[in-house]
Amino acid sequence: MKKLWKTSILAGSAMAILAGCSSDESGSGSGSGGGSETIDMWVFGTTGYEELAEKYMEENPDVKINVQSTEMGDHHNNLFTALSAGQGAPDIAMIEVGEIERYREAQDRFANLYDLGAKDVQGDYLEWVWNVGQSADGEFMFGLPTDIGPTAMYYRKDVVEEAGYPTDPAELAASLNTWEAYSQFAKDVAEKTGKPVVDNAELIFNAKRDQADEHYFNRDNELIVEDNAAIREAYDYTVSLIEEGAVGNMPLWTPEWGQGMAEGSYATLLGPAWMQGVVKGNAPDSDQWMITTMPEGAGNWGGSYLTISEESDQQEEAYAFIEWLVSPETQLESFKDMGLFPSTPATYEQDEFINYTDDYFGGINTAAVFAEAAEQVKDVYKGRNYLLVQGEIMTALNNVLSSGGDPDKEWDDAMERIKQRLERE
Amino acid sequence: MVSNSEKYTEKKVKRSMSQEKRNSIAGYLFVSPFFILFAIFGLFPMLFSFYLAFFKWNGLGEMTFNGINNFTIIFNDPIFWKSIYNTVVIGLLGTVPQLIVAFLLAYALNAQALRFKNTFRVAIFMPYVTSIVAVAILFSIIFNSQSFGLVNSILGVFGVDPIVFTQSEWGAKIAIATMIFWRWVGYNTIIYLAGMQSISSDLYEAAKIDGATLSQQLRYITLPMLKPFILFTVFMGTIGSLQIFTEPLIFFGGNLREEGITVVAYLYRDAFENNFFGTASATAIVLFGIIMIFSVLNLLITNRLGRGKARKA
Repeated sequence: MKKLWKTSILAGSAMAILAGCSSDESGSGSGSGGGSETIDMWVFGTTGYEELAEKYMEENPDVKINVQSTEMGDHHNNLFTALSAGQGAPDIAMIEVGEIERYREAQDRFANLYDLGAKDVQGDYLEWVWNVGQSADGEFMFGLPTDIGPTAMYYRKDVVEEAGYPTDPAELAASLNTWEAYSQFAKDVAEKTGKPVVDNAELIFNAKRDQADEHYFNRDNELIVEDNAAIREAYDYTVSLIEEGAVGNMPLWTPEWGQGMAEGSYATLLGPAWMQGVVKGNAPDSDQWMITTMPEGAGNWGGSYLTISEESDQQEEAYAFIEWLVSPETQLESFKDMGLFPSTPATYEQDEFINYTDDYFGGINTAAVFAEAAEQVKDVYKGRNYLLVQGEIMTALNNVLSSGGDPDKEWDDAMERIKQRLERE
Repeated sequence: MVSNSEKYTEKKVKRSMSQEKRNSIAGYLFVSPFFILFAIFGLFPMLFSFYLAFFKWNGLGEMTFNGINNFTIIFNDPIFWKSIYNTVVIGLLGTVPQLIVAFLLAYALNAQALRFKNTFRVAIFMPYVTSIVAVAILFSIIFNSQSFGLVNSILGVFGVDPIVFTQSEWGAKIAIATMIFWRWVGYNTIIYLAGMQSISSDLYEAAKIDGATLSQQLRYITLPMLKPFILFTVFMGTIGSLQIFTEPLIFFGGNLREEGITVVAYLYRDAFENNFFGTASATAIVLFGIIMIFSVLNLLITNRLGRGKARKA
């Protein structure tokens, strides 16, 4: 009898180890060892939310928050798996703006923040940012916006000067206030310096695309890219620059792209606010980079939303925390400490924001440039297969750029591939 | 009294029966961890993927029955056929030269005259223990599309224009095949080396006395004796090359282009980038079929070779 017990204990513990594997992640709510219940929060990247959570816990001693940070790709994969399985998701999860699209039809996995009081703070946020976080019909709020990535034009003073244009941010913005003027600028840069005006086809296409009212899908999630003149225009504009020899072939995040930043291999970089850190990282000794507004408006790249899972049993406590965490006051802290660009226009009026300057970028108030851009971003519905369409258009543009593909044929092929792939949905 | 002893023996018999039963239960419990693990992480996903192949599912919403539509979709997709073609071409480019070179390297390492044998052995095996991601990143720098990329600058010496490797039909395949070659050549070398060391030196000595040249020794002693090792490496190489995945994924940096997309990369893109789990599962089943066909072919050839040998003996 004793033997049997021993063996069953052994087998039992093996099973317990197995069970432990699956229940490890799902500590939501149940992981408390008496006293106050722990709110689990998953974040990615460097947000500084750990420190802010500490601060919140000091002010609210009865709340316990456990912030867990993971690398961005793993974070979203883990979260998707947990939400798909219906268990194991944290109380609060940060979701990147591009990733939130795939949850559009999965309202049953999230708490509707409108039921928790999100309507009261709606007015604090930029309208377009807020709308990305809600369902197409506006009835369901997935998450509160954290930071945003409004886009502006980074430029190299030396290249711009060589091309015969003013290097002062305001003057340059004034002389490049239309895409037509920018096209002329591209020609001048190519002629006088032999350098491309942009690093690659992607960012120039995105810049034009982001100024359209609709992109690839309409609010009913129907594919409209083929008949959307604005997107075709962005495509044709990029092709026209490629034909001028004004588009570089330095894909994002490659070594040559970073090196180009340090050496000034291209004149402008149409990038978001968080690209400041990337530029500084790649070109730490350069004093040539400056920032000004982009022609005809701005777009947004990046930013995140804080969601609360349906399975969480402390939705109210979690909501109180995230409402505080992304309130205009706390976002000012995140901006100062981590450079996260606020999604709350009220923050732009604060003294610390108005008086902000950056010596790296010639001592100008970079925050003001991006704040102006943030107010110009269009409210666009993206849809869950946005990146699929984007990827195929990029393939087409890259074929035109480096393999000498025929622009019309490449466009048609891309449309064909998009339709083929969307049949799977 | 009598009845008592009867009871006693009866009890004893009962107990010994249940002891046997207990032992067998204990036995099953001892082997159960593997089967439980296999059922959860092996069997269930496999069966579920068969099931999913006939459904539409995005991972979050409802599953809807789709019949054989998923198969129709992928069979009508030129990129799917391209991915199979790519897999086979990259597999051949990466495996065939690799096995030949591994054989020659093993032969050299086995030579009596060679000094610092262990150093060379370790050096040749080293790539195998390198992280596959590190390998892919390293090789994307070597096969950089700019004129300063290592391969492009060498080509530049001969007056060849820089190749955009990620967008070139053969450039992409050669780059990916090179990564596979570099990583696996050491592994196969060690296997061949082990095989060569198991060949008795008597055979070589006898051959030398009979006046066999080096190439004759290689052809009539080393190669035939190594047959089981060669078959093993061919077998593993075939299955491995049908599953090429990480190299193209990192080489393309996310945007998998048709010049180098492999079957597994194709199904990964469907499943984990776009959450089209139905067609991804259908692709997995087709891949399963392809691997089965290749394995059966391998097996048939192996059996035939084995039989041939037996007849000779």
